[in-house]
Amino acid sequence: MRLPPQVVRLLLLTVGIVGSYLLAKFLLTPASFGQYGFYRGDALMEIASHPIALAGRKACAECHAEEVEQLAKFGHKNLSCEGCHGFGQAHADNPDVKMEVLNYSHCVKCHEANPSRPKSHKQVNPKDHFPGDKCTECHIPHAPSEVP
Amino acid sequence: MKDRLTRRSLLGKLGALAAGLAALPALKTAKAAVQKVLVSSNAPKGYDPTQHKWVMAIDINQCIGCGSCVEACKKENKVPQGPYFRTWVERYVIEKPKPGSGEARGKTHVDSPDGGMRGYPATPVPKEDILHSFFVPKLCNLCEHSPCVQVCPVGATFDAPDGAVLIDPKYCIGCGFCIQACPYGCRFLNPVTHVAEKCSLCYHRITRGLQPACVEVCPTQSRIFSDLKNPVPNDPIQAFYAKHRVTALKPHLGTDPRVLYAGADREVQ
Repeated sequence: MRLPPQVVRLLLLTVGIVGSYLLAKFLLTPASFGQYGFYRGDALMEIASHPIALAGRKACAECHAEEVEQLAKFGHKNLSCEGCHGFGQAHADNPDVKMEVLNYSHCVKCHEANPSRPKSHKQVNPKDHFPGDKCTECHIPHAPSEVP
Repeated sequence: MKDRLTRRSLLGKLGALAAGLAALPALKTAKAAVQKVLVSSNAPKGYDPTQHKWVMAIDINQCIGCGSCVEACKKENKVPQGPYFRTWVERYVIEKPKPGSGEARGKTHVDSPDGGMRGYPATPVPKEDILHSFFVPKLCNLCEHSPCVQVCPVGATFDAPDGAVLIDPKYCIGCGFCIQACPYGCRFLNPVTHVAEKCSLCYHRITRGLQPACVEVCPTQSRIFSDLKNPVPNDPIQAFYAKHRVTALKPHLGTDPRVLYAGADREVQ
């Protein structure tokens, strides 16, 4: 029995279309697709390979253990070094790269009086509290409770 | 049967089979060549996403609205300048009710100028008229049932096994469906890369055993970050649960967020 030519053509076309779809799927689906779910598993580690800018407390303590120890004794013990000193991964990788120079203008970022802040948090109005003087003339940032 | 197995036809069939077998490795090579897209070399080693479950807790009572987290997040994740934030801090100012109005509390004002990164202007009402005012840090709520993942037409955003909701920038087509779907407003379209972007829980940091940038710089520990599958002794998250009554934002939506808030007022959405 011979199939009519139009049916043969239709079959060939179907095989061609389905075949090219399967080939494209085989070639283009990443190997890690479906590793964890309906997405590319490799994406996780690609996102994780983003470079770090904030080194973290442990990295600071490797060289500056003395300062970290001193800080831990006083009210600022929970503060991250880099919260005030700026991001330090570049400095941790290469100590020749210097950290930002502090001008202590950022003290008010946390300690300026603000009615929305928790009452337990120490706050001053910079306009009433020794205006014109630098905070560090009286306060030691690493030992904030040692103040007049 | 019409066809007879002749020497010629047998040889032909064997030849076709050999050609087919030879094509298999060729296909594999072709696949490898097609797949040879940028393979990252500085990815952290030995991180198994199935062995972690990250959770974030936020204590609103502790937040002083300094904006350090917003600034750190922007720097760490290279978020473009302008009104684009992966985390931001909102200021809530709830007025006292007008006498005789029959209401328990007055109008609520919410603002977050520049994400709270550079401080806040004076409160919209005088101090005497404020019933209650506080800061609320916001970020990706790490939904268990993420609307953003459900609407993505290309499978570019997904719930990682460790609980982070991530975006595959190579698959994202920037259609913006997820930005509309997120009930917490946590997503934006990056104007540089033109793909959707959001808090990744600093995935590059947590996979290396560091804390997210916002948690690291928070001066008052109002953000707590923990791994539910690998609890450490005196785990801060357990202390947090023990100390506070916790809630999630917009619980009625059924998104089941894993970012938990302590001290969230009724107005916080």
